[in-house]
Amino acid sequence: MNIFSISAIITFISLVLAQTLLFNHFYIFGFVNPIVYLLFFVYYRFESNQTLLIGLAFLLGFFVDFISQSGGAHTIASLTVGFLRPILIRYAFGATMDSPQSYFTDSRRINKLIFLVLMVLLHHTFYFTLVYFSWDAFYLILRNTFITSIFSLILIGIILSFYPNKK
Amino acid sequence: MQRILNALLQFRNPILYFFLLTISLSITNNRSAFHEYTLEKYGFYFSSKLYAFQYSISNYFNLGTVNRQLLEENEKLKAVELEINKLPLYPGALIKPQRFPYKLKKATVLKNSFQNQRNFILINQGSSHGIRPEMGVISNNGIVGIVHSVSKNYANVISILHQDLKINVRTTKSPAFGSLVWKGGSPLEFKIEDIVTNANIHVGDTIITGGMSFYFPLGIPIGHITHLEKNEENGYFSIDAQLFNDPSQVYYVYVLENQDFEELESLQKNIVQ
Repeated sequence: MNIFSISAIITFISLVLAQTLLFNHFYIFGFVNPIVYLLFFVYYRFESNQTLLIGLAFLLGFFVDFISQSGGAHTIASLTVGFLRPILIRYAFGATMDSPQSYFTDSRRINKLIFLVLMVLLHHTFYFTLVYFSWDAFYLILRNTFITSIFSLILIGIILSFYPNKK
Repeated sequence: MQRILNALLQFRNPILYFFLLTISLSITNNRSAFHEYTLEKYGFYFSSKLYAFQYSISNYFNLGTVNRQLLEENEKLKAVELEINKLPLYPGALIKPQRFPYKLKKATVLKNSFQNQRNFILINQGSSHGIRPEMGVISNNGIVGIVHSVSKNYANVISILHQDLKINVRTTKSPAFGSLVWKGGSPLEFKIEDIVTNANIHVGDTIITGGMSFYFPLGIPIGHITHLEKNEENGYFSIDAQLFNDPSQVYYVYVLENQDFEELESLQKNIVQ
């Protein structure tokens, strides 16, 4: 139980609460519901245990689903992001020796942005596909994924700007 | 064992992912009626594909049984059809019910030919099944021949593709009758003899059995007229006809048993004597 684990648990709980109690009640344009608990995947250090992350991702989605009384869409989307995060990291930061230990130790802005965009798009695609779960709603899925991703990214960016850039 | 454990440890992340994915899908399934319905729909799609595949395989192996059942059913239906067919052809048949002395027995063709000028067919029913010589043989769409000789389990049938066999025929429209004889070439092409030129017949008329023999009842459709020519010299039509069914390609036939055969035969003997 080091300082990182405790702060991870606190982040976990606060993100679940923030998502369910605050952001789920946002209705930008009447239908956009930004999803910010993805910050957990940013906060979780890149070199930490991947198996644990999959379990935590499942729990994160499960709690969000549980409290907001939605189906299993958050669980599946969050679980998938947790599972595929190493691939996203490799795409965004490169598979070389200088891949960062965590999101905050890296100073390359473009790579960070690519990582966030990929993650949010992946999550939202899975989420909205599972919510609508029908080929007829293909256009709706695309529209919601795109617009919600923009607002989620803006909110995630704002929240991340409060974190100091540790060297 | 060590290797299995190693493999499990190596792929622990994907395994964990798919395990949890299954759990979350089942949660989704339980919590939302819509997702339950949609998933069930996909499940049903796959299971129905699977069952259809299984059904097609079992179907293939059941073909023999099904064929036999269909043949039995056809045997009954054919008898009904024959009886109904001839009714409208007799004037006043609907008012005065006629006796229909024919019964059907199904049989399978074992040997058939059409290369010779005088062809015979071997069928798998014989005297032990009630087959006697001089019974008519028909197929599902036309006539096949007349039983010639019978052994215990088999019977030899004079094929309609036999140049000496003459079948009594008429058309549906005209009561004038003639004889159907094979030309000897294609198994579908026949000629009709002995129809006088004043008969009202045309190209395209349907040829049916004439009912003037003990072998076939009136009204079995055989073929249609393809060519018609008035022969002024002898006062008869020369008619070309085509059969509905190729008699060289029948596999299941029905033997017609005329129950009044002996009665009719004895009558004829008396006349001759």
